[in-house]
Amino acid sequence: MQDRQQRLRHALITVWTIAVIVFVYLPTICITLASLTASRYFQFPISKWGLEWWHKTFSSIEIRQLLSTSIIIALCVTVIAVAIAFFGAMAFARYDWKGRSLYQKVILLPIFFPQSVLGLALLLWFNTLGLPLSWMTAVFAHLVWIVPVVTLVISIQVYSFDPALEEAAFDLGASRWQVLREVTLPVLFPGLFSGALFAFLLSWGNFPLSLFTTGADTTVPEYLYAKMVAGYTPGVPVLGTVSTVGAAILLIGGYGLILATRRAKAAE
Amino acid sequence: MMQSLPILSLKSVRKMFGPHAAVDSIDLDIAEGEFFTIVGPSGSGKTTMLRMLAGMDTPTSGDILLRGERINDLPANKRPTCMVFQSLALFPHRTVGQNIEFPLKIRGETPESRKARALQLIDLLRLPQSYYGKNVLKCSGGERQRVALARALAYDPQILFFDEPLSAIDYKLRKTLEKELKDIHRETKKTFVYITHSLEEAMVMSDRIGVMRAGKLVQVGSPHEIYSAPNTRFVSEFVGDVNVVPVSLAKDGLLHVAETGARLKPPAIPPGFTQGHLVIRPEFLRFLANAGEADNAMAGRVYNEYVLGSRIQYQVRVGRNVFAVEKLRQQAFKGKLDDDVTIGWDAGDAILVTD
Repeated sequence: MQDRQQRLRHALITVWTIAVIVFVYLPTICITLASLTASRYFQFPISKWGLEWWHKTFSSIEIRQLLSTSIIIALCVTVIAVAIAFFGAMAFARYDWKGRSLYQKVILLPIFFPQSVLGLALLLWFNTLGLPLSWMTAVFAHLVWIVPVVTLVISIQVYSFDPALEEAAFDLGASRWQVLREVTLPVLFPGLFSGALFAFLLSWGNFPLSLFTTGADTTVPEYLYAKMVAGYTPGVPVLGTVSTVGAAILLIGGYGLILATRRAKAAE
Repeated sequence: MMQSLPILSLKSVRKMFGPHAAVDSIDLDIAEGEFFTIVGPSGSGKTTMLRMLAGMDTPTSGDILLRGERINDLPANKRPTCMVFQSLALFPHRTVGQNIEFPLKIRGETPESRKARALQLIDLLRLPQSYYGKNVLKCSGGERQRVALARALAYDPQILFFDEPLSAIDYKLRKTLEKELKDIHRETKKTFVYITHSLEEAMVMSDRIGVMRAGKLVQVGSPHEIYSAPNTRFVSEFVGDVNVVPVSLAKDGLLHVAETGARLKPPAIPPGFTQGHLVIRPEFLRFLANAGEADNAMAGRVYNEYVLGSRIQYQVRVGRNVFAVEKLRQQAFKGKLDDDVTIGWDAGDAILVTD
């Protein structure tokens, strides 16, 4: 009796778990299915399968341009955000100073701003300052939102950092610069690495900020949106799949890299 | 013991945090090659003091002299001193060997000479040579202690500072490491300055001990002096269980206990003593067959007993007070709980302190 109840419970838990996973991942899978059609229009079930839209999409110069714009913005955002957020996180979690608790709240606030409003506000500022809109202004806009997120991600690592490590290195004769290079950065590296992944992926997938601030340049999410509104081709799900799968590969690869280094270290 | 020029001198060193003096006008000389321990409860200012000596804090006033030269403002990385931290601060991303080699790498030594020195130190600290390539996070607590000490020794400091490195270690291992540390002190002949809140730990290792309280050095002396001639009630109680009786010096030259009206034969009376406390260590109290066997005697009743390994401690109620009496196991009290007993001590075994 007891045994049956237990089995029933396990079965229910399994079914529920699978249902949630399907609910979360099915839409993404449908996008991939939609890209595998041979017809011009979006329709389910797919009557004729084919890879021709994948060929078309990858040979298009316009698409390459889109991908390179998105990648350049994401890379710039990653480098700048990690640099700023590293110092931000040190102020957030490593040092105790007057006003720190206020700073901790203020720095996190932009995360909760509606991004479309933030994008509009930035657009107004760029216009007021007379800055021509391009992928560079988009980098700035992304940073406003992404730096706080990355600061938070790196801060989690900094909280577990023993300040005595820096003091010990300094005491053993290292200069401030050597302390940073030999101890602080390597010890915080896992945090900086996840911060970088966050920065890249959040920038890569960002639509509302890009919409207002890229000017004549177009990123992948902007293009997807524009094509959905007018001029749909199965190239849209192709690019959507590429965008999603690319992000997933980056994430899984990054995670794998962290696991591999951890395992290599444990083997010593 | 004291040489002509002390390796480290403190002249009225004071450190203020706001209006609060964490370290208050400390004067101290530490001799070359000495194992000096600063003992005090938490908040007594010992860590602040050590941080100033190591160059991680600067004194608000006063001078710190290293071989006669003022080093107040010399930062830690320029001082020929090194600290073993409470958390040990081993670099988690480096191996045992890389940790030990760190100061040599900073100094720009070649990888070969670094490795040779690291292996020497691994030997000195009684670790297996195979540990050179071991992940430092995989070492046990005791092994980490040794790695931290090896790394500090690799710096070849003139003075080694220790900030309670053994406080997180279990009792048995701590006892072993205390002795090892004293052995290392003998072998390296360096000056060790150690801080701890455990006077027991200090006693085992130190040549001299300084007891700190509320930012001040209350007493400085050899372990023997601190134990047998504490200059305050605070120091006497820091050593372990003691019996403390408030007394005043009566005209007849006896000590008068206001609470009970008892009159006790005094030990050596410090100059100017009028009132204070009589400190009687539990091991100096005896069970008496009759009151005449000791200079001072009291009647009481055995309340409880605690086995402390080689010794047994009895709690004896005398009036409203409880006295601790300790006996070696071989000399255990023959009676049972609630027996009426007479306990006593010889006048010279007690200590008078003024506060």
